[in-house]
Amino acid sequence: MTPGRKWAIWVGAAFALTAIVFAGLIGLVILANGAIAEHVRGSPGVPAVIAFAALAATVGTGVLALVVWSRLLRPGAALAAETKFIAETGRDGAIDPARFPWLAALTAAVNALAERHAAARREIDRQVAAATDRVEEQKQRLEAILRDLSEGVLVCNMDHQILLYNQVALSLLHVAGELGLGRSLFNVVTREPVLHALERLINRPLAEARSEDAAIAVVCATIDARALLRGRMSLVVDADGTPSGYVLTLNDVTREVAELGRRDALLRAATVELRGPLANLRAAAETISSYSDMDVTQRRSFEDVIRRESDVLSARVEQLDRDYRTLTSGDWPMADVHSTDLFNCVSRRLTDAGGPQLVMVGLPLWLRGDSHSLMLAIERLAHEIAAATRAMSLDIEALLGDRRVYVELRWDGAPLSSAVLDGWLGGALPGALAAQTLGEVLARHGSEIWSRAIGESRALLRLPLPAPARFQFTPPQLDLPARPEFYDFSLLRPASADRHTLTRPLRSFSFVVFDTETTGLRPSEGDEIVSIGAVRIVNGRILTGETFARLVNPGRVIPPESMRFHGITDKMVADAPPVQIVLPQFRGFLGNSILVAHNAAFDMKFLRLRQAECGVAFDGVVLDTLLISAFLHPDMEGHDLDTIVARLGIEVPGRHSALGDALATAAVFVRQLDLLEARGIVSLESLLKASNITLELRARQAQF
Amino acid sequence: MKRSVLVVDDEPNIVLSLEFLMKQAGFEVRVARDGAQALKALAERAPDLILLDLMTPGIDGYEVCQKVRGNPATRAVKIIMLTAKSREVEREKGLALGADEYITKPFSTRELVDRVKRLLAETAS
Repeated sequence: MTPGRKWAIWVGAAFALTAIVFAGLIGLVILANGAIAEHVRGSPGVPAVIAFAALAATVGTGVLALVVWSRLLRPGAALAAETKFIAETGRDGAIDPARFPWLAALTAAVNALAERHAAARREIDRQVAAATDRVEEQKQRLEAILRDLSEGVLVCNMDHQILLYNQVALSLLHVAGELGLGRSLFNVVTREPVLHALERLINRPLAEARSEDAAIAVVCATIDARALLRGRMSLVVDADGTPSGYVLTLNDVTREVAELGRRDALLRAATVELRGPLANLRAAAETISSYSDMDVTQRRSFEDVIRRESDVLSARVEQLDRDYRTLTSGDWPMADVHSTDLFNCVSRRLTDAGGPQLVMVGLPLWLRGDSHSLMLAIERLAHEIAAATRAMSLDIEALLGDRRVYVELRWDGAPLSSAVLDGWLGGALPGALAAQTLGEVLARHGSEIWSRAIGESRALLRLPLPAPARFQFTPPQLDLPARPEFYDFSLLRPASADRHTLTRPLRSFSFVVFDTETTGLRPSEGDEIVSIGAVRIVNGRILTGETFARLVNPGRVIPPESMRFHGITDKMVADAPPVQIVLPQFRGFLGNSILVAHNAAFDMKFLRLRQAECGVAFDGVVLDTLLISAFLHPDMEGHDLDTIVARLGIEVPGRHSALGDALATAAVFVRQLDLLEARGIVSLESLLKASNITLELRARQAQF
Repeated sequence: MKRSVLVVDDEPNIVLSLEFLMKQAGFEVRVARDGAQALKALAERAPDLILLDLMTPGIDGYEVCQKVRGNPATRAVKIIMLTAKSREVEREKGLALGADEYITKPFSTRELVDRVKRLLAETAS
């Protein structure tokens, strides 16, 4: 019960009691008056005057109380509620003084205070935003560096607890789950080589430690002995010079070591095995030239030797050549590349250069190669095809073959002759390492290109590339987040080891707030997603630069009634990729962030119905701004997005598109984080408990 | 009940991928590395569909295909031939011997899954 209402009840009760007492008194007085009047006739009764005065006083008091209540107490309570709301939400905008005429001075004072409060808050927000920007920028730089490194990176403290790792480290070490922050490095790699390297690092002379090459080489193996790792180790040193941890970069060299072995064998063969036939040849040739007068039979036998040994030599050289070709060029930076990444890069570059449009179709695959020179090569091919055929749009797809993965470009028009294709090979690729030509890049990947017609009016160009070292499809449970937010440098101080996710402050998580537009409201009865929009929140800040917006081809007709709502037509999604492509992309965008949506049950139902066939899983914690709103303001009416947005005074453009609604929901969620903190709900665990979101969500999902 | 797919191919890398794709699509998957294993698997239990590589060691894909069509117990099984041979005559031969579809390697993984699903939907209806 609010204090205002309590007051009103007290005043009302007091007034009612007074009225009853007076009414009783008046009744008594009138009765007594009648009795006295029997005896004393003629003079008006004094008690009657008193009674009427009392009645007037009672009515007066009543009216006064009524006025006080309606003009002061009730508006006072309303004003108090508004003030509290402003204090809690920091909403801008003054309270209208006309609503509280008798409390105008107080309203003005509250407005002044609110204005100061808002100004202070804006200033703090600005400073926090600026500081967060700087931190975020550095963080993103670090993340980008970690993500793009082809080496596995591990940072450990002196107790060998892992403080940071990137995804390459995860896949190198073949672990799913055991490699956690705060766990021991020796759960995953052999102990002795690491300790030995560390000892050498710590004990070496200071001058050497300060030299440019502060790292030393380490060779170790994974604990399951499945991979041989080679890398470098360097120390993390505190300001006072004491080592507080170490950085380990690792490469899987199992394959390279095997290749090196074959290379050695090949060199040995070339140097040793060719010696025999060569010596015989030489001896025969020298004999013939030295003894020019030998008889015909003798001479013929020497000629036979020459012929035989030449044949042997040719065969050996042929064999060596074949062996050499099977060696992938180990010295070049070959790595597994995801076709989506590769095609995206090419597509962006083509767009920037005003080249043909690249339409990605089919499911993505892994392939192996030097991604940079491949990107330049495919970009060049696209430009050349466009120039030769005037095709303005090319489909690109990765195809699965027995031993290779094929990149296929398709266009409307005629196929290209091999003479034309050969003509492209000699052109240098600007930006490629060592100014390679297109032909050299293809040769390095053991590739040849060819073109042929598809049916009457289309044609393709095919580029076979090496198959990846990894398994083509990652099972969902091993699906790795796309962003390496895998570090916790506070672990450099070992005391805080092994923190649990649930007890982490809510604010410290990164969130992805998303919304879907669909063909209708019944996913269980065939309704499909037509668009997904999402935005990331890090450190309580909406990163408008990190958004995800995709149209999805629903594979069915969009009903007009839903089209009216989101404005997406069949024509708009005709060329959009299907959900099987977009959902994995969205999963990649999500990374290890927590999902947030308004009325999440609805959107989650769509995701969960399709996740298995897309090979992804959305099984993390999900938060719902609708449920949080219901928890925060149980008394307020309306928890739909529009009402909440209006209540919190949030302005968001582009509503009723997936991205617009995601942005609006994100703005709501950030405010809700403040309100939750004000109520002492700081950790994820306490929020989940307090609002019972998990249970509610499950119950609500059953509706759709 | 889960529909079942028999993958017949001797190339371990592609078998891994085919097995994964079929399981993802919700099918029960068995694998045979050559023609003899394929016939054995067929004798144990007829699948709903066979992904059949033509170039299997020993008994080749054409022969497996003929045997499947020749046996009343397996006559209704759908067959998709997978092959690196892309000449028109080979395609004709494959279809003539009773294959329902003929897909040349390399193939689009999505298209393959779509075709399998479509063929199995036909039998369901």
